[in-house]
Amino acid sequence: MRPRRDGRRGCPVTATPSAPAAAAPDAHRYLSQEAGVREDRRFVAGRGRYVADVTPPGTLHVGLVTSPHPHARIVDIDVAEALALPGVVAVLTGAELAKSTEPLRQYLDVPEVQWRPLAVDATRYAGEWVAAVVAESRALAEDGAELVVVDYEPLPHVMDPEVAARADAPLVHPTHGTNVMAHREFAWGDVAGGRARAGATTTVRTRWNRNSTVPLETFGVVAAWDPHRELLDVWASIQMPQFPDQLAGALRIPTNQVRVHFDIDVGGSYGVKRGIKHGVLAGFLARRLGAPVKLIEDRSENMHGGDFHGPDRVFEVELAYTADGEFTHLRIDVIDDEGAYPGRSPLQLAKPIGAIVGPYRIPSVEYNATAVTTNKTGQVAVRGFGQSPTNYAIEAAVDAAARDLGMDRLELRRRNFIQPEEFPYRIPSGTEYDSGDYPAVVDKAVRAADLPALIERRDAVRAEGGLAGIGFAACLEPSGGNAIFENVMNPRNDKTTFPEGCRIRVDGEGAVTAVVSISSAGQSHDTMVATLVGEELGVDPAGITVLRADSLAGFPSQSPVGSRMAIVLGQAIRGAADELKARLCAIGAHQLGLAPDEVRYDRGSVVAHADPDAAVGWRDLVAIAHRKQHLLPPGASPGLEVVHVAHTPRSGTLAEPDGTVQLYPCYSFEVHVVLAEIDPGTAKVELRDYVIGHDCGTVLNPEVVRGMVYGGTAHGIGVALYEQFAFNPDGQPLTQSFIDYLLPSAHEVPDIVDVEHCTPSPYTTFGQKGAGEAGYMGAPAAVAGAVNDALTARGAAPVHSLPITPSDIWSALRATREEGPQ
Amino acid sequence: MKPIDFHLHRPTTLAEAIALLAEHGDDAKVLAGGQSLLPLLNFRLARPEHVVDLGRLTTLRTTRRTTDGLTLGAMVTYARAEASRAVAEDAPLLAAALPFVAHKPVRARGTVGGSIAHGDPAAELPAVIRALDAVMVAAGPRGVRRIPAAEFFVGNLVTALEVDEILTGIDVARPARGTGAAFTEVGRRQGDFALVGAGAQVTVADGVVVDVRIALTGIAGVPHRATEAETLLTGVPPADLDLDAAADATRAVIAPSGDLHATADYRRDVAGVLLGRVVATAVERATGHAHRAA
Repeated sequence: MRPRRDGRRGCPVTATPSAPAAAAPDAHRYLSQEAGVREDRRFVAGRGRYVADVTPPGTLHVGLVTSPHPHARIVDIDVAEALALPGVVAVLTGAELAKSTEPLRQYLDVPEVQWRPLAVDATRYAGEWVAAVVAESRALAEDGAELVVVDYEPLPHVMDPEVAARADAPLVHPTHGTNVMAHREFAWGDVAGGRARAGATTTVRTRWNRNSTVPLETFGVVAAWDPHRELLDVWASIQMPQFPDQLAGALRIPTNQVRVHFDIDVGGSYGVKRGIKHGVLAGFLARRLGAPVKLIEDRSENMHGGDFHGPDRVFEVELAYTADGEFTHLRIDVIDDEGAYPGRSPLQLAKPIGAIVGPYRIPSVEYNATAVTTNKTGQVAVRGFGQSPTNYAIEAAVDAAARDLGMDRLELRRRNFIQPEEFPYRIPSGTEYDSGDYPAVVDKAVRAADLPALIERRDAVRAEGGLAGIGFAACLEPSGGNAIFENVMNPRNDKTTFPEGCRIRVDGEGAVTAVVSISSAGQSHDTMVATLVGEELGVDPAGITVLRADSLAGFPSQSPVGSRMAIVLGQAIRGAADELKARLCAIGAHQLGLAPDEVRYDRGSVVAHADPDAAVGWRDLVAIAHRKQHLLPPGASPGLEVVHVAHTPRSGTLAEPDGTVQLYPCYSFEVHVVLAEIDPGTAKVELRDYVIGHDCGTVLNPEVVRGMVYGGTAHGIGVALYEQFAFNPDGQPLTQSFIDYLLPSAHEVPDIVDVEHCTPSPYTTFGQKGAGEAGYMGAPAAVAGAVNDALTARGAAPVHSLPITPSDIWSALRATREEGPQ
Repeated sequence: MKPIDFHLHRPTTLAEAIALLAEHGDDAKVLAGGQSLLPLLNFRLARPEHVVDLGRLTTLRTTRRTTDGLTLGAMVTYARAEASRAVAEDAPLLAAALPFVAHKPVRARGTVGGSIAHGDPAAELPAVIRALDAVMVAAGPRGVRRIPAAEFFVGNLVTALEVDEILTGIDVARPARGTGAAFTEVGRRQGDFALVGAGAQVTVADGVVVDVRIALTGIAGVPHRATEAETLLTGVPPADLDLDAAADATRAVIAPSGDLHATADYRRDVAGVLLGRVVATAVERATGHAHRAA
C-alpha cells in the first residue's frame, strides 16, 4: 500500500464521528466509481447460497394443510390417516402448537387479535395454515397434508375494506369487537387558514389494489435444535428487524439460544421476507422432533398464505389551491386493508407522515388513517413502507387539480415545489427535509426526455386518431429508516432506537475484514460495505473481505429497510473507521515520539503534521498492534479490532401528541416523464419513452443505483398496469400463480433513461441518501397519469384504480362513445 | 407443489405407447412437451397414476411434405415448426401464429400435437387448426383414425381423442396460390394466454375473395370458427370488403365470459377488432395490396 496525501481532514484523536463531508463526488477515491458489484460474480455463476441450499443431515420437510374458507370455525381435525402414511413423521395442529408457544407479535395494542402460525379454533382467510405435516420429503408431506381431514363450519366473511370499517360488518376477530384496528386523525398547520385561502378544491378517490413485491424465491426457513448445546440454529430467507428475538419469545426460550445465520442469500424481498410464523413453526417442530426441519413455501402457499401482500388502500384526497394554483391545504383520508392479522402493516400508514406533502409547499394538512382487518392473507412491509401508494394518491390529486385549473401539469408542480434555498424545510407534520433541488432535477429530466418533441409525438398520434398521453410524477423517497412510526401509530410504544453496527478488523498481516450482522436481499451490501470501508481507510475495497456475523456473534443491527445500510450502517462504518484510525494514530505518534494530535492518518500510514517524511507505515503499525507490546503506547490494548454501533441520524425523539415527528433523516427526490400510446382497438398500453430524473445525494455505486432505479420503475409499472392479488366475493383468491399475478417482463418495461443529480445530504457520512425504493416511488403515478392524459384528451374520465387494465380503458372510452362527444 | 406419486413410462415405439394406454386407460396421461401437463401435475390438478412420455418416439418429430400439403408430427416442437420452411410455405397461418405462443423457452419444449391434444380454447394452435380444417391423425388399439378439426375440439380441454389414443400427426392442406394469412392476439402481457386472439387465412382469385377461414381464441370452450363473418366476406372483391359488418356479425354470435383480466363486453368487442385486423392483413398478404382495417 502506498500512502497518498489528499488534503483530507486530519486524524481524529477520539472516536467522535467526523463532520459530514461536503466534498464533491469526484473527491472520493472509491465511492461513485464504476467499480462493479462483487455480488454479481456468485449470482451470475449460479453460486448464491439460499436457504433451500441448506439441508443438514436428517432434515425433515413440512407440508401445510390450508383453509379453503375465508372464515370458518374449526370443528375438528382428524390426523389419523395422515399419520398412518409411510414417511410421515408428525402432524401438528394449531391447538397443540398454541399450548407451547406465544402468539406472534402485534405492533398495536390488540390483545384479542391472536396471530399464530397455525389457526386455532377459527381460520380467517382462505389459504391460512391449519395444520403442518412433517415427513421425510416435501412430496410425502404434501401427500400427508391431503389426508388430514378438517371439519369446518363456515362463518360470515368480509373482503372489502370500506365494508369492513362499517359497524354492521362481519367481524374478523369477534372478541376484539371491531374490524378497525387503528384509526388516527391528524391536523397539522393552520387548517382553517389553509382552507380559507383556497379559491377551489379538487377531490379524487383513488384505489391502490393489493399487490406486493413478489420475490423469485418464496419464503423458506431451516431450523435445527442441538439439545446438548441448547442452541436453535436458524437459516431463513429474512429481511426483518428483531427476527431472532421474536422467534425466541414465541418459542419461550432465551434469546441467546436462538442463532440466526445471516450469511445466506435472500432471493428478493423489498420488505416482504418476514416469515416469523414460518420461523416459529419450524423452530417448534425442530425442538419437538429433535431433527432439522425445513419449510420452503411453494408458490401457491406463498401467494395464498405467506402473509406477504402489500398495501391495499382506498384514498380520498382533497387538494385546496388559489386561483393561481398555489396549494393551500391537503386532506388525505385513507383506509388500509391489513388482511386478517395486522402485524406490522398498520405502521405503513404512519411512515408517509414524514413526506405527507410530497415535494410541495403545502402549509396545512389533515391526515385521517384507518387500518381494518378483512378475511385476506396478512399484509406486510413492502418497498417504501406505504409511501408509494400515498405518492400516487397525492400525484393523482395534483393531476386532477391541473385539469380543473386548466393548467399545465408540470407548471403546477413547479409552482408549488419547495425551493432549493428553503432547505432544511420543515413540513407541517414536523419532519424536516434535509436537502434537495427539485427544479434542477426536473430541468434535467425534461431535457433528457426532450419534452417538446415528446409532446409533438403525442399530438401526432392523436392527430391520426390514436390515443397517447404523457405522464409526470414528482415525489420523495424518505430514507434512513428509523422505527418512530411505531410510536406514531401506537403512542404507548416509546421505542426510539433503531441502530446498525459494523466491525472492522485488521488482522496480523494487515488484511482488512468488515463484519456486519444482517442478511441482504439483493441490495449489494458486500459491495457497499467494502467501498465505504475502503473509502474511510483509504485502502482498496477489492482487498476487503465482507462477512456476516450470526445473530449471537454479531452486534445490534436491525434491518436493511429504507436504505438504512447506506445511511445508518454508513454511520457505523464511519464510527468504526474513526476509532481504528485513532488507535493507529496513537501507535504511530508513540513511535514517532509525538503527541496523537501531532499526526494524522493518511491512507494506511500515520504521518507527522510537521514533517511528511516522518511516517509510520501500515506494516509497522499492524505489527506493533498485534505483536510488539513493547512498542505499544502505555495502556493500549493489542490487536486492531473495532465495533461501532450507530444510531439512525436525526432519531431519538418521540412524536408529539399531535403526531408531529422527525421521521426519516434523508429525502431523495425523483421525477418521472413517460409517453404512453394506447391501441384504440384493444385499449392496450405501450410505454414508448421513459425518463426518470433522480437525486439520491452522493451515489455510492452507480451500477447499484441504476439497478434500483430500473427495477423500481419496472415494479411501479407492474403496479400501474399489471399486478393485483384479487379475490372474488366468496373470499377466494383469484391470483394463485404467475398465470394470473402478472409481473411485468422485459417486453412490458421500456428502456428507462435515468438522469442523476446530486444534492448531498448534510446528515450522512458522504452525503448519500436512499435509493432502494427509487423508481417505485413515482412510476405508478406517472404511468397512470400518462394513461389518463390520453383518456381525458378523448373526453373520457380518468381511471383512478390500479392496476389499469385494457378492459378498464376500453370501458372508460366506451362510456364517452355512449354519452357522445363532450 | 409436488405431483402425486406416479409411474413414468418411456416407450420407444408407438405400439408400446398404445399398449400402455390400453392397459392403464383413464389412469394414464400422455406427456409430450410437458408445458401444460407438468404444471397441472405439480398443482395436483392432474392426478394420473401413469404418465406415458412420448419423448422417445422420434418418428413423431418429423414434418413431411405430401402432395396435398404437409403432415406435422405431433411431437414437433413449436420452435422447430416456427423455423420450418415447409410450415411457412404450406401452412402460413400456423407460421403466423407460432410466434404468439408463450415465450421462447416454452416454444423450445412445447409441441404442436401437445397443444392440440390439450385443447385449451385460449391457445393459438387449436384455433389455427380449426380455421384450416386440418385433420388430426390418431393411433389406438383399434387402428388409425382421421378426425377433422370441426369434430376434434369437443369442449374446454376436451377433445375427440379416446383415452387409449395418441395424436400422432396433423395433416394440413396446401393453400391455393393467392393466399395470405395473419394472426394476432391481445393479452395483458406478451406471451400470456390471450384475452382474445384471431387468425385468418384468405385466398383471392380473379379479383374476388374465394376462400376465407377465420378462427378466434379465448371466447368459448372451443375455438370459434367465425363462419358468420366468412359468409359475408366470401365472393367479394378485396376493395369492397366490409370488415365492420363482418366484425359485428361475429360480435353478435359470440358469448365470451369475463374474468379477472377482462370483461365479457371487452372480449366481445375486441374479438371483432382483431377479426377485422387479421382479415385485412391476410388480404394484403394475398394480394400484395394494403386494405385498411376497420
